[in-house]
Amino acid sequence: MDGSLSDADFTLESDVLDRFMPMHMILAADGRVESFGPTLARVLQGQVQAGSRFEDVFEVRSPGGTVTITEVLARSPGRFRLAPRHWPQASSRIGLRGVAMVLPAGGRVLVNLSFGIDLIEAVRKFGLTDADFVATDLAMELLYLAEANTAVTAELRGLNLRLEGARLVAEEEAMSDRLTGLRNRRAADRYLERLCAAGTPFGVLHMDLDFFKAVNDTLGHAAGDHVLGAVGQVLRRQSRAEDCAARIGGDEFVVVLAERTQPEQLRAIAERIIAGVTVPVEFEGQECRISASIGIVRSTDYPNPDPALILADADAALYVAKRAGRGRAVVFDRAVHRGGE
Amino acid sequence: MHGLMLRPLQGYLKETFGPAAWTQITRAADVSVDTFEPMLRYDPTLVTRITEAASRILSRPVDAVWEDLGTYLVTNPGYEGVRRLLRFGGVNFAEFLHSLEQLPGRAQLAMPELEVPELILQELDREWFLLTCRFPIRGAALVILGMLRAMADDYGALVVIELDSGPQEDVMTIHLLDASHATARPFQLTVQDR
Repeated sequence: MDGSLSDADFTLESDVLDRFMPMHMILAADGRVESFGPTLARVLQGQVQAGSRFEDVFEVRSPGGTVTITEVLARSPGRFRLAPRHWPQASSRIGLRGVAMVLPAGGRVLVNLSFGIDLIEAVRKFGLTDADFVATDLAMELLYLAEANTAVTAELRGLNLRLEGARLVAEEEAMSDRLTGLRNRRAADRYLERLCAAGTPFGVLHMDLDFFKAVNDTLGHAAGDHVLGAVGQVLRRQSRAEDCAARIGGDEFVVVLAERTQPEQLRAIAERIIAGVTVPVEFEGQECRISASIGIVRSTDYPNPDPALILADADAALYVAKRAGRGRAVVFDRAVHRGGE
Repeated sequence: MHGLMLRPLQGYLKETFGPAAWTQITRAADVSVDTFEPMLRYDPTLVTRITEAASRILSRPVDAVWEDLGTYLVTNPGYEGVRRLLRFGGVNFAEFLHSLEQLPGRAQLAMPELEVPELILQELDREWFLLTCRFPIRGAALVILGMLRAMADDYGALVVIELDSGPQEDVMTIHLLDASHATARPFQLTVQDR
């Protein structure tokens, strides 16, 4: 036995071909379609009649330059790609993969086709079912795998979204001050670094509360916390969404104002903040009175703005404001506050 | 334990008995999280602890909790993917039963680290089948039982399944009384209009 079916009486009836190769097609020696298998018939949607010429029915996509089945057989009978000409543009990305052979008797050509990776699209487009595929075909496994893959990918995408949400919440918490609802020192530092790196001009208000210790000492920490919360509200009202208002220490605050460098404008904002903070706050029937001093720095005063130096200068200006009698805002002046160094 | 198994258990208990009952169960089972992530791995003893806590709190036999989980996996619209992937196994219930032997292979194809029970099918005749199930977690065979009963409904088949649990393996005796007892739920090979 050499494995060939060489009995002179041996013939493959069309029902045998249909069962084993439901996407086969028999062409006459002149390239006209004689018959096709049941699944191929479904796919061609009754648009192709027996007797049509191969090249009128199919467009050969590879090997390039071939048109007729004779040319295909001469170039690459073991592997070629084609697509029915009548398929509308929408389904043109579905292609068929084929193999063909000239049969011994009468020069007829046996062609067998398959969808390859376009199977999923083809099943959807033509509503194919299990019955359209042979049990030995791996079509079901491919469809199964595609679906399993989609499901797993969807789960992973969901996980990523949830993790990203949790990360944002954690980041937000790590950047905010719970007591005042303002940002914290870490957030202020990062914001300053970002503005410096981007070369965006900005103004900085460094604020320290006056008489806060007295409130804490006489009325207790709860009153102190209440006052800090009220200061948080004042700062939020006086800053825009793009600014960064932060509590950076016990009763120390920083407001970074992007794109604001006019001394008059910065001083006006600082004075509005001081006025807001100076309004007495009531806590459990007791009046809490504080004030605030503010040091102001402008990034435009520095050839290479550096967050650490800017904060140190803001602190120096704040010190001057405190010494000048509290409840004041002072704009940093290198010549005056650093002795012209 | 893969979260893919714990998440449906969470879904089944929470949706059927309410969020309060679910919180009570996770507390009783000493579980630190309230929500399981399907794509993460967890302590392998968790699933047993949760089903046992659920059994105590809901006053239901623990076997019923396991089996209901199997039913939930196949019938809940949120897990339509599970039903669909199982339906790829065959065009009728008998063919589906035969495909179960490939379940570990299919599961691995989808997710290499997913552990599923080893299933061996013996066809005695056209009506009678024996399905042997091997898995380290005791309730796994009951989950499979629940899934098989739900899949029989899906195929419109009338079956009687009995479970005989042994120390090493569980054996299900499946009597396929009528393969087309009712109309099967529709199944198309691809999801339309995606």
